[in-house]
Amino acid sequence: MLRFALTRIVMAIPTLLIVAVSVFVLIRLIPGDPASLMLGDLATPASIADLRARLGLDQSLFTQFGIWFSHLLKGDLGVSINSQEPILPLILSRFWVSAQIVLVAVFFASLVAVPAGVIAAWQQDSTLDLGLVGAATLLLSIPTFWLGLLLLLFFGLKLEWLPVVGYVSIGDDPWRGIIYLIMPILTLFLHEIGVILRMARASTLEVLRLDYITHARAKGLSEGAVLWRHAFKNAFGPTWTLIGLVLGNLLGGIAVVETVFTIPGLGRLLVDSIFARDYPVIQGCMLFVAFCYVLVNLVIDLCYPIFDPRVTAQ
Amino acid sequence: MRLPAFNALIGGGLIGGLLIAAGTGALWTPYDPLKLSFREKLAAPSAAHWLGTDEFGRDVLSRLMAGAATSVWISLLTVVLAVIFGTLIGLFSGYVRGWVDRVIMAFNDALLAFPGILLALGLLAVVGANKYGIIVALGIAYTPSVARIVRGTVLSLREKEFIAASRVMGNSEAFTMTRHILPNCIAPLTVLATSMFGYVLLAESSLSFLGLGVPPPAPTWGNMLAGARPYIGQAMWLGIFPGLCISLTLLGINLLGDAVRDRLDPRMRGMR
Amino acid sequence: MNRLPAHLIGAAVAATLAGPALAQSLTVSVAADVRSINPGVNRDDNTDDFVLQMVEGLVGYDEGGTPGSLLAEKIDVSADGKTYIFTLRKGVKFHNGAPLTSADVLWSWNRYMDPKTDWRCLTEFDGRNGLKVEAVEAPDANTVTMKLNAPNALFLDALARTDCAMAAVIHKDSVKADGSFDKPIGTGPFKMGEWKRNEFYTMSAFEDYASPRADGKTDGYLGSKRPLVKDVKFLIVRDPATVKAGLLSGAIDMGGILNSDVDELRKAPSLTVQVGTNAVRHGLLIQTRDPLLKNVKLRQAIAAAIDYDELVSAASADLAKPNNSPLYPGSSYFGDVEKQGFKYDPTRAKKLLQESGYKGETITILANKRPTAVSFPQAVVAQAMLQAIGIKVEIEVLEWATQLDRYNKGNYQMQAFSYSARFDPALAFEQFSGNKDKQPRKIWEEPQALALIDKAMTVADKAERQKLFDELHKRYIAEVPMIFTFNGVEPYALSKRVKGFQAWQSKQRMWEVTLAN
Repeated sequence: MLRFALTRIVMAIPTLLIVAVSVFVLIRLIPGDPASLMLGDLATPASIADLRARLGLDQSLFTQFGIWFSHLLKGDLGVSINSQEPILPLILSRFWVSAQIVLVAVFFASLVAVPAGVIAAWQQDSTLDLGLVGAATLLLSIPTFWLGLLLLLFFGLKLEWLPVVGYVSIGDDPWRGIIYLIMPILTLFLHEIGVILRMARASTLEVLRLDYITHARAKGLSEGAVLWRHAFKNAFGPTWTLIGLVLGNLLGGIAVVETVFTIPGLGRLLVDSIFARDYPVIQGCMLFVAFCYVLVNLVIDLCYPIFDPRVTAQ
Repeated sequence: MRLPAFNALIGGGLIGGLLIAAGTGALWTPYDPLKLSFREKLAAPSAAHWLGTDEFGRDVLSRLMAGAATSVWISLLTVVLAVIFGTLIGLFSGYVRGWVDRVIMAFNDALLAFPGILLALGLLAVVGANKYGIIVALGIAYTPSVARIVRGTVLSLREKEFIAASRVMGNSEAFTMTRHILPNCIAPLTVLATSMFGYVLLAESSLSFLGLGVPPPAPTWGNMLAGARPYIGQAMWLGIFPGLCISLTLLGINLLGDAVRDRLDPRMRGMR
Repeated sequence: MNRLPAHLIGAAVAATLAGPALAQSLTVSVAADVRSINPGVNRDDNTDDFVLQMVEGLVGYDEGGTPGSLLAEKIDVSADGKTYIFTLRKGVKFHNGAPLTSADVLWSWNRYMDPKTDWRCLTEFDGRNGLKVEAVEAPDANTVTMKLNAPNALFLDALARTDCAMAAVIHKDSVKADGSFDKPIGTGPFKMGEWKRNEFYTMSAFEDYASPRADGKTDGYLGSKRPLVKDVKFLIVRDPATVKAGLLSGAIDMGGILNSDVDELRKAPSLTVQVGTNAVRHGLLIQTRDPLLKNVKLRQAIAAAIDYDELVSAASADLAKPNNSPLYPGSSYFGDVEKQGFKYDPTRAKKLLQESGYKGETITILANKRPTAVSFPQAVVAQAMLQAIGIKVEIEVLEWATQLDRYNKGNYQMQAFSYSARFDPALAFEQFSGNKDKQPRKIWEEPQALALIDKAMTVADKAERQKLFDELHKRYIAEVPMIFTFNGVEPYALSKRVKGFQAWQSKQRMWEVTLAN
């Protein structure tokens, strides 16, 4: 088990390296430049050149990468061009905020959506199936920035149950902190139900078609027993993997929810830094997100045997 | 109660309606979808404008019809692009294995770990911010998921008896691939492709919301949906109709996708 | 959802949120965080707005954008125009209680002029852009003299510039022992409070503030500046829809809103809406070196094809009036000549188009979709109007940083753009005029126009300057190097409890603002 985990981490190193290099190159290929953004429309070419020199952006790409990478190996992600803050603590504090939203939302969404997906698959082509698939599709097709706004108007303005703007860290004040997180979590929860339900349904359908299910049915087991003992348990494995993919992708996609609900999270940090061309922050965020992605999928794979008796981690 | 035909019928009906709307929209719309009319801005649905008008007084129905053609075209091309390249990469990678496979998969995972918005921004900047730029950018963004799934299927099937049997019978590798391995990828690919289709319809609107507009020579549903958001209090219909179009299209594609999969999945042959 | 617990949540939230509202704390929404709190160093408009409530310079802009004395009581200029003598206002104190002396002015100035400070406006005063402050002295505790290399009509204007943070006088304790900046200890009406990056920043009233006047009349950065609320919290809310919801719910007391939300929020019983104007100038840039658009006739055709009334009302949601002049209407130089803009005349436009030899080539207009920018609607309307006379137009929507890059490189045909506020007309013209070989971002490079602008930079006599600007305006209208369309409007929604706020030049000035309980 430990050996497996270690090999997986070692194998992830090339992936992280590729991410590091390609992010570095890609963001510099994008037109726009932090110095001219900082100076705005009043900038003269001379003042832009001055600022670029001060930020070290006038050096060759190779040198810049060398400097950044050698610092990276020492665990130093550098400081932000915009705010001069050290990047690693910045990312960690923002990550914590995003992670609690994503994890809670996906956890509850899985609780609802996985059983619903299994039932839909089991009753494939029934009106129940149609209803569940229809509901999932509807949830999936409302963009989160619309869904969030609708919830905000309903719970915040119309019913006045929940605060409309602001954010309080759970660490500062647990009770108020939770209240400010309800709506963002609810938004993501509803959206993810749509995503996960469809995945769970599809992977259960796959399993239901396999020979041993036919055998089980042929043996005369009741539908309930077939569903529970064979279908559900076996379908959960692949669904679990897909949930891992969802988690990994969400960290990048949560920016929209954070924008609507004024949450200072990692997604917003990444988007803001992209718009400001804050190169070191983008690089740090991307590497961090990639690292999380690898880690989440590793954890998922390690847990896989728990849900799928046929597989052992090796 | 089992009603496969009924589901396929609904799916087919929805998609048929979409194709008719897209086809008509490409040729004829009640009004010019780009024509501004300042006196009629944000008008509620009426006999003259069945679905109302937007903030520039443009007819929403005409824009939806014109948008159907553009949206469908963009989504379709993107999905086709991702499926073709993803399948080729996945087949190759799963087939050759060894270090080539590892290298390809390292790149693949790196691409998967990229948040879509950065990838889209970067690629749009490189390929140019136009309709085809979006198709290329999103196509590249979705390719790695396809590659991963196809490779997984190839790896799990390689050692199965019927593949070995095919080899023993003297069939070429290429034949084995297309005849035996590829069909088994269809089921998972259909699921992925249908959800990708939905993501592409919406990707545009999310990009637009975050301040990353997609160039609108013609209206698209995603763009209309994002543009309607500031008017949620004054003109709800601006958002509802494009949203409804996206929902119904997605539903249709899902239902139809199910039917198609059941028909094409080799394991389903002879069942039912 | 179970109704009972939800109600309990609602009640608990109401209880927790009602608490601080009684303590005379005003919550203002802002669209972005400040970049730093170091005056004039790492800044943007938003940063200037915050910092300049806490620090002040010797001179500042009045309501009309003319520099006037702020920390100075009077300013004398020597006969040769090269020496400025500032007499400091008495009784002014820093936030830490220390009285303002000429030594503080000297210390602050030397800090700004030290390249290590990274003051944004260093090049404006060290001779690299012409003007050089050769010597600064403090003959006594109340007097500061500044000697220039040559007479300069724009010296005080440069000192008052908000992006230079007014060359604000700060106490030396603002800087830590190691030389790094700590927090602004200035003489302004508010003191620095707390700053939680990307969440909020706050300031509190400075009780010992010495207001230049105390009659309640605000006047730009001068006039009556009494702090009348205890605390102000600037809450960072990026999504305009969330701002609107926050205002309606009462969680936000005031904030800038979208033009398109004005009508809706005017109807809200708890809110009032105020629409201010500013010297931001929106317009359509034209690349005059483009093989197609270097043709004057085509540019004139474009200018005549646009119905400015409709374009402006569509782009500003009926809040603004057209203004084709590079000068903003609040300027004292804005006269009858400047009121004469481009004439909308589709027949003439078609004729000019024919004469230009235009053969159906496509013109691309760049635009961005930032929610507060009017770039995109301008492009959409202009596209429709130009297509109406037979010009093929496409819109390319870019993200802002990319558009700015294209602007700086001059790499475009047309773009819907906004110029930031410049008060002095010479600077307003200079902003878009210059030689493209030296500065590709410039638009207008007609040599005679450039000579006129250079002259306006040095001439001090108002009547003579007016003549120069009138001449420049006429040339601009004839040559159509670009098309200015209208000036910035900035709608705010305020809770009815907020009194005394005056929108001015995109600055959310919190002095003289009161909050009823």
